[in-house]
Amino acid sequence: MAPARVDRRRRGHAPAVPAITTEDDGEEHHLNPFLDTAPSPSSRVQFRKVASRARWVEDAGAAEVVDSKGKLWLTTGVNRDGKLYYNVEEIGFLAERGALVLLDDEGETIGMEEIYKKIAGGNYGCSWVAFQAYKHLKLLGYIIGRYGVPWTVKHSHTRGITDSSTSVVDTDQSFDRVGGAGACNDITKSLKEMCIDSIHPSFQVYLPNSKFKKTSPGDPSFFLCLLRDKPPSRDELETVENRFEGIPLKFCHVDNGRVSFLSFDKAVLPSLP
Amino acid sequence: MDLPGPRWKKGKDGKDFAALAAANPMSAIFAELIASFTSSMPVAILSGTGGAAILGVEPEQAVILIRAAIGHAIENTLAEKHWFQLSPEEVFYLCHALNCIRVESEDKKQMYEVELWDHFRSVSEPFPVMYKAYSHLRLKNWVVRSGLQYGADFVAYSHHPALVHSEFAVVVVPEGAEFGNRCGRLKVWSDLLCALRASGSVAKTLLVLTISTVSNCELSSPDCLEQLVVHERTITRWMPQLCREQRCKPGRDHTNVSREEQVMKNKSVAFNYCGVILGFTVLSSLLVYKLKFRQ
Repeated sequence: MAPARVDRRRRGHAPAVPAITTEDDGEEHHLNPFLDTAPSPSSRVQFRKVASRARWVEDAGAAEVVDSKGKLWLTTGVNRDGKLYYNVEEIGFLAERGALVLLDDEGETIGMEEIYKKIAGGNYGCSWVAFQAYKHLKLLGYIIGRYGVPWTVKHSHTRGITDSSTSVVDTDQSFDRVGGAGACNDITKSLKEMCIDSIHPSFQVYLPNSKFKKTSPGDPSFFLCLLRDKPPSRDELETVENRFEGIPLKFCHVDNGRVSFLSFDKAVLPSLP
Repeated sequence: MDLPGPRWKKGKDGKDFAALAAANPMSAIFAELIASFTSSMPVAILSGTGGAAILGVEPEQAVILIRAAIGHAIENTLAEKHWFQLSPEEVFYLCHALNCIRVESEDKKQMYEVELWDHFRSVSEPFPVMYKAYSHLRLKNWVVRSGLQYGADFVAYSHHPALVHSEFAVVVVPEGAEFGNRCGRLKVWSDLLCALRASGSVAKTLLVLTISTVSNCELSSPDCLEQLVVHERTITRWMPQLCREQRCKPGRDHTNVSREEQVMKNKSVAFNYCGVILGFTVLSSLLVYKLKFRQ
């Protein structure tokens, strides 16, 4: 259920973050819906006075920002050839908060229902579960990007020229799950990865940071893996752990609106005297 | 045994919400839901791998959903419709039991009940028994929500969670070869006592719903629901050191200390004439409550 009170605090750079209160024993907060003065389900102040605008680009599976307002772009979206693109979970998050209007090729607004369908459909590298996890952390001020997708890439159309200072990943994969040149191959590849039962990182997460720069983001604080209906087996954990040295892994379980984060850290208990 | 009564929350005026709940019984809320939804048949969109679905409804329908404690409202500033996130059990209940929503898959295909059943079963093997337990309680007008944060399958409230604390932590245990050899709950002592402890520490009674089958039951079709039987049983701790008085009820773990003090105080008036009358009144009203509950 929606939180009982939403307090808005502004930090210097980051968008206002509503505080979500939870009790220790996990009881949900509920507004009493039987009172005459019960507030309507979505009576809340619009997040921003003026929204940014972005145009959906089907080939890219993302939206190109045409009109950017505020400082959201510092920690959201990826830069490709000097243009800013938002993927579906970013679009969903921003649109829900009134910070983004999504347009189609004719300049008509794409409504929330269509945006939710794009996310739920799973064809653009994100799923509803991933969206819940993304939203939960984003509301707390974390900086989140898709795993394996560089924040910024500059490359000309001729493959001979690459800008080594920005591109960490091979330019062929510059859009990866966001889409782009060779989008069909990348998207199918990422979908195949999603279908494989193995646990894999979905997001790279950075702690809230007013000095975050997409051109030199540094190492993420952790990678986030999404868990499905069963807890992970030892085998699955070891498989995914072996692929990463140094960067911690966190695991996320979504139970219909309730997002839990778990660590499954290897332990070595010392022998005691 | 006497089941514990509901613990009503209190409003701003200090009075508890029992009256408000009585004025708005769940049966009436669901009647309103069916009336309001069947004319428009809102469409829920399945969310693929997660197994849940999202449903967009008109504002007046949203109020009913909230009162029925179905789904989680999705915060959304500008959307015209109100959006809710539903669990698989909730989706199937609205679609199959109440016949008041339609469901579409991600590729905009309408999902009929058998396909929907298959879909939920493929996402989660225990879906048939979980749904049976969910619908069993909902049909009796209990409010059923996810109990994962308490280590249970569900939590059951006698009315809306804003008005009452939940009484039961529900664990569903399938019984029979049809359900395969998957490790069910409560098959070892550490698990049972863990469940008991976890529910007690949040002031809930552990309710075990065992699901058995009447005859050879084909889980691949929702028709099997009629072959599934739900057995209700609570597991509570009995503290012999506290129950030497006639009137003492078995307590939950966290209330043990106060009960002991109470019993000591009552000892001195136990054989008092007024005490006998009081005892008789208490016992007979418990009996009435018990009979009423069992109906």
